[in-house]
Amino acid sequence: MRVPFRVGFEQRGETPRRLSLLVPLASVFAALFFGALFLVATGHSPIDTYSNMFQDGFASFNGITDTLALSTVLICTGISAAFAFQMNLYNIGGEGQLYLGLIGGAWAGIALGDHLPTLLMVPVVLLCGALAGAAWIFVPAFVRSRLGTSEIVSTLLLTYIGASLIKHVIYTPGSFFRNPNTSFPQGRLVADSASLDSFGSSRLYPTFFLALIIAVALYWVVKRTEFGYRINVIADSPKAAHYAGINANRTTIWVMLISGALSGLAGAMLIVGPYGKIEPSIITLGYGYAGIVVAALARNNLGLIIVSGILFSGLRVGGNNLQVTTDTPIHIGVMLQGAILLFALGGEAFRRYRIHVVRVHDVSTKKVAV
Amino acid sequence: MSNTSHEVAQRSHHTSGATSTALSAHSIDKKFPGVLANDSVDFDVRAGEVHTLLGENGAGKSTLAAVLCGLYQPDAGYLTRNGKRINLSSPRVGLQHGIAMVHQHFRLVERFTVSENVILGSRDLPFRLNRSDINEKVAAIAESYGLPIDPDATVGDLSVGQRQRVEIVKALYQGAEILLLDEPTAVLVPSEVEKLFENVHAMTAAGKSIVFISHKLGEVVEISDRVTVLRNGRVTGHVSGRGTANTKELARLMVGRDIELNAQRATHATGHEVLQIRNLSLVVNEVSMLSDISFSVHAGEMVGIAGVAGNGQRELSDTIAGLISPTSGSVTISGSMTTDRGPIKAREVGLAYVPEDRLGMGLVPSMSILDNLLLTRDRQLVVDRVSVRPEAARLIEQFEIKANGPDHLARKLSGGNAQKVLLARELSGGRGATKLLVVCSPTRGLDVGAIETVRRLLNDARSAGQAILLISEDLDEVLSLSDRVLVLYRGAIVHETPGETAQLSQVGAAMAGLASEGPS
Repeated sequence: MRVPFRVGFEQRGETPRRLSLLVPLASVFAALFFGALFLVATGHSPIDTYSNMFQDGFASFNGITDTLALSTVLICTGISAAFAFQMNLYNIGGEGQLYLGLIGGAWAGIALGDHLPTLLMVPVVLLCGALAGAAWIFVPAFVRSRLGTSEIVSTLLLTYIGASLIKHVIYTPGSFFRNPNTSFPQGRLVADSASLDSFGSSRLYPTFFLALIIAVALYWVVKRTEFGYRINVIADSPKAAHYAGINANRTTIWVMLISGALSGLAGAMLIVGPYGKIEPSIITLGYGYAGIVVAALARNNLGLIIVSGILFSGLRVGGNNLQVTTDTPIHIGVMLQGAILLFALGGEAFRRYRIHVVRVHDVSTKKVAV
Repeated sequence: MSNTSHEVAQRSHHTSGATSTALSAHSIDKKFPGVLANDSVDFDVRAGEVHTLLGENGAGKSTLAAVLCGLYQPDAGYLTRNGKRINLSSPRVGLQHGIAMVHQHFRLVERFTVSENVILGSRDLPFRLNRSDINEKVAAIAESYGLPIDPDATVGDLSVGQRQRVEIVKALYQGAEILLLDEPTAVLVPSEVEKLFENVHAMTAAGKSIVFISHKLGEVVEISDRVTVLRNGRVTGHVSGRGTANTKELARLMVGRDIELNAQRATHATGHEVLQIRNLSLVVNEVSMLSDISFSVHAGEMVGIAGVAGNGQRELSDTIAGLISPTSGSVTISGSMTTDRGPIKAREVGLAYVPEDRLGMGLVPSMSILDNLLLTRDRQLVVDRVSVRPEAARLIEQFEIKANGPDHLARKLSGGNAQKVLLARELSGGRGATKLLVVCSPTRGLDVGAIETVRRLLNDARSAGQAILLISEDLDEVLSLSDRVLVLYRGAIVHETPGETAQLSQVGAAMAGLASEGPS
């Protein structure tokens, strides 16, 4: 069969600024349109569904605060993914590091009991969570820098072990992390001093602001510091780094450890925030994986992650509430998230390439894409 | 050589004149984003002649060649073949009209034999190949143009010169009557260039047309029947008649002003020893890359290392720069042993290093000029760009770098300007005052104007008392600049001669491994 035209890709010298904004937005709309097809096919009204989602995610007090609460975690896991990506390292295992952050944070929150005041206790819990997340990525980081072992595979596989670890500490009778007072498998509550209060009647915790500060701080580190300079050199050309005497191995380990710590921190934030204990359902929520989507939507720009994190959280909160408020299955929300990622990644083609359709047997070239 | 009765030269009724025009381009325009690469260019080549396209990098010669062979379609203008208008929609169509391009970077499959490479891409091959027939045909073609080659040899085992021969044989096998040779001498040693020119004469004698693309003036004068000079996409001049062109005139047409390429050799006496290399050997994966190299470079002296690429140049410069630890031997810079001490230590005692690979090793492509200046310097914990900015602006001005300012990205610089940025950084000192400058192929790929500037900068550095080690494949450059010339062959120094009395033939022979003299 002969196709009368073919599609040509021509690499762009520079991406026009408007496209950098247009493409992610268009991706979201394309995903919504894609989702609408399924809604129509299953007998739901797309307009009603989306307006409900928007209402629940962004346009009510509870919606907004729930969205910001969720974005606290997703911003952290998002920066975790994006920061490693600054150096072309793919930390796919943010999910597992988040589990470990939960365990590390819970350990500190339980073991240190009521010995410390809240002002000290909360930072200690967060630090322990971050350290546990960093520890979980240490082996992948080490073998990546020394032997070049793919961090994609090693971090991902460790996530499954992390999930088993969560189940182990909760379902094993007599476990340190298990609530000893109930026969039902539940996490043991951390000390009161390790728990923060949420704002008013909302479920939003002050850790949200910590996430914002970290995003801005890391942005500054990459742009302004010697460490960030090194990351940029290594990311762009390892040969130039070698030439300039920059130790790429050491920097690789540090970047991965920081990435792991950020996912771990996200887990610990759940301890001092809404959970107060290890919640075994965490392994079904995929906050760590969602961080990769958030990072991809922001094109790994550490500043934009705040925006994409909040946007994505809103979709998720809105999607979750659908099931409660209407009879729309929750999976619509999940499917939309996947669709957004796919369209966002596909949209990259428009940013990097000029796309035109060439008629076969015809030299004239029609530019159909921007 | 002109009024041949060969089939290519069949005169169509459109053409007139004593010689037949095999291929002409009429007012070709070719635009790329932001550049008019060809601006109503007229060009023609007759049967049995060598017509050279001369111009700096970016002058539009490669674009024109790509249009001539069907790789690009012109935006305006058209081609005629034997007077008939043709439309080359792809290189395959070009080939059907007998037009073939021999690319500068060979397009051969290394694991295949010569014959297999030659027939690669032919569409009318039978299901079952008759190898002996093909081999015979390949050998016959090769023989008739003085291009002896074993059809069964594996291309991966061949030298660069032989691979080029395979490319030419392939074009001839495919029925090429017009061969476009894109910078064919760039990769060859002098003796191979001579051989290539013999092949070119054999081809033109048989009525083939050669379009020779080059920016090396000397060989252009030697080989060409006619020369067309391009500058900024326009034709700036024609010269006809073999040997009548003079290099000064051609250089002026190319650049648009008078050019002094033979930089003056420094006259003053050389000072103390700055670089001392003793018994340096390097073995990588049981292959000896450098063997027992000893020499020194003094303050105010330029030592040139000549050699064909891949004879240990990169290993030598990287070892001196502290990027590779040698298997044995020592490197001493300004009296400090730097062997095994890393690049930062070497720089602290006065090393500056311009590697062959500019973008990607010497410069970080995605970074600005400003950030690239910081690459080899001492950086604070929080990088202080504010205080470096005025210096960056000053260097841009001093080194005549064409850029929008310190924030211009390195990858958006032309080759010449990237090289100037690299030189600006390395010559302006970093961690310590520069005492030793190691430069590799500093003018490769640059246009004539930039070459002139770079050579002047190197001379200025030498006059300022810096010791310079110049490692280059461009033999003319090494011979015209160096106070002393060493020849590197298979990782060893096989020849040493003072620059002033160096003989091209002797150095060339040493580069090809025919040295009469042992290591000095």
